[in-house]
Amino acid sequence: MPASTAPEPGEVPDIDLVKRCQAGDTRAFDVLVSRYKGRIYAMTYHMIQNETEAWDLSQEAFIKAWRALPSFKMDSAFYTWLYRITHNVVYDWLRKKKIQGDGEFDDSRTEHRIAAGAEAVPHGDQAPDTAMKNAELGKRIQQAIAKLSPEHQQIILLREVEGLAYEEIAAAIPCSLGTVMSRLFYARKKLQELLKDCYENAA
Amino acid sequence: MKTPPEDHDLLRWLDGEMSAAERERFDARLAADPALKAEADMMQRLSADLRTHLPAEMPVPYGDFFNSQIQRRLAQEEDQAPVRVPASAGWLSWLRLQWLAPVGLAAVLIAAGLTTLKQGGIGIPEGGSDTYVHSIYVPNTAVHASTYHSTDAKATVLMLDGLEEMPADRKIVGFNITRGEVDQDVAATTLFDAEDNAVAVISKDARSQPVLLTSSPAR
Repeated sequence: MPASTAPEPGEVPDIDLVKRCQAGDTRAFDVLVSRYKGRIYAMTYHMIQNETEAWDLSQEAFIKAWRALPSFKMDSAFYTWLYRITHNVVYDWLRKKKIQGDGEFDDSRTEHRIAAGAEAVPHGDQAPDTAMKNAELGKRIQQAIAKLSPEHQQIILLREVEGLAYEEIAAAIPCSLGTVMSRLFYARKKLQELLKDCYENAA
Repeated sequence: MKTPPEDHDLLRWLDGEMSAAERERFDARLAADPALKAEADMMQRLSADLRTHLPAEMPVPYGDFFNSQIQRRLAQEEDQAPVRVPASAGWLSWLRLQWLAPVGLAAVLIAAGLTTLKQGGIGIPEGGSDTYVHSIYVPNTAVHASTYHSTDAKATVLMLDGLEEMPADRKIVGFNITRGEVDQDVAATTLFDAEDNAVAVISKDARSQPVLLTSSPAR
C-alpha cells in the first residue's frame, strides 16, 4: 500500500482537506482521521501489541498532527507526514517505558498471549490443522516483531506491511537509501533468527 | 561471508527493486549458489508470512468514539489555546482570533452599514468610491472605536483602542471594505473592496466561531 494513493472518485483529495484544516476546519480533519485511523492504529498496534495503548497513542498522534498542521508544507504525502508523527509518538512512549534495548521479550506487552497448551507443544510436532498452525505462526511473528528495536520494527512495518518502496521509506523516516537497505537487511536477519524454529520445522 | 553489496543485491531482488537486467543476473547467481538460494527462499517466505499476519489496516475499536474524542480534544484545545494562526493564511486570519471577534463583528457591521449608505446615497461623494462611516457599534465596551476619513486619500481609517497588543511580526495592510454578501446556502459572508474584488470569505465552524475560509493575498 503506497503512502500516497489517488483519491477514489468523489473523494476529496488529502491536499484539499489539509488546506481546510490549516484554515481551522475541524470537520475536514475528521475526514482525514476517518481515512487513516485504521492504518495508524494497525501500525501502532503492531509496534506495541496492546489494544488500549495503541488506541490512546493513535489518538495522541492525530492530536499532534492537528497541532503541527499549520507548519505542514505539503512537501510530502499527508500520510507519510502523519506516519512520521505517529512513529515519534510511539517511539517516545517506548522510550519512556524503557522496554526496548535489551532484546528481551516482555510478555506483558501482548494482550493476545499464546495459549498455554500451544506453548507446551514441543517443536516439531504437527499442529492439529493448518488454521491453528497459521494462528500460531501469527502469534510468533507478533512476538518476534515486539522483540525488535523500534528502528527495526519501523523498517519492517514500512516495507512489509505498508508496502512502501525504498525511496518512500527514506522520505518517511527520514534517512538515506543506504540506511534503509542496511536496517532492512539486519531487521530481517533478526526476525529469521527469532523465527528460526518455525521455518526449520516447516522445512 | 557476503559483502554488503551482496546483501543489498539480495534485498533489492527480494523487494522487486532491481531492473530486469539486474534481476536476470541475480537469478543466474541464485542458480549457481545453493546457499544463497536457500537464504533467498527463506527471506521470501518470511516476507510473505509478515504480510499475511500483519494487516496494514485494522478496525479501530469504538471507531466512532475515536473520532468524537479527537473532535472533543480539539475543541478543548481551541478554547484554551491563546493564538494559532496558519503560517500560510492571509492577514485576515486574525479575524478568527477570539480577542478580535468584536472587531470582526464591527467590520461586518461596518460593511453592512456601508452597503446601506451606498444604496441610500448618503455620505458617498458623487462619482467617487470614497466611503464614510457614520456610526459604529462595538459590542466590547472595553474597545473604543473611531474613524478618520481623508477625501484626498480616498480612504477611511478605522481606529480601535483597547485591544490586546498586536503581535509585532504581524503584517497588516489596509483594505477598504465596501460591501458584503451573505450566501445563505453555504452560510458564508464574502467581503468586497472598492474595486469589487472579493477580499475575504468568512464562515462559522462547528462551534459557531468565525472561520476565515479564504482571503486575497496581502498587497
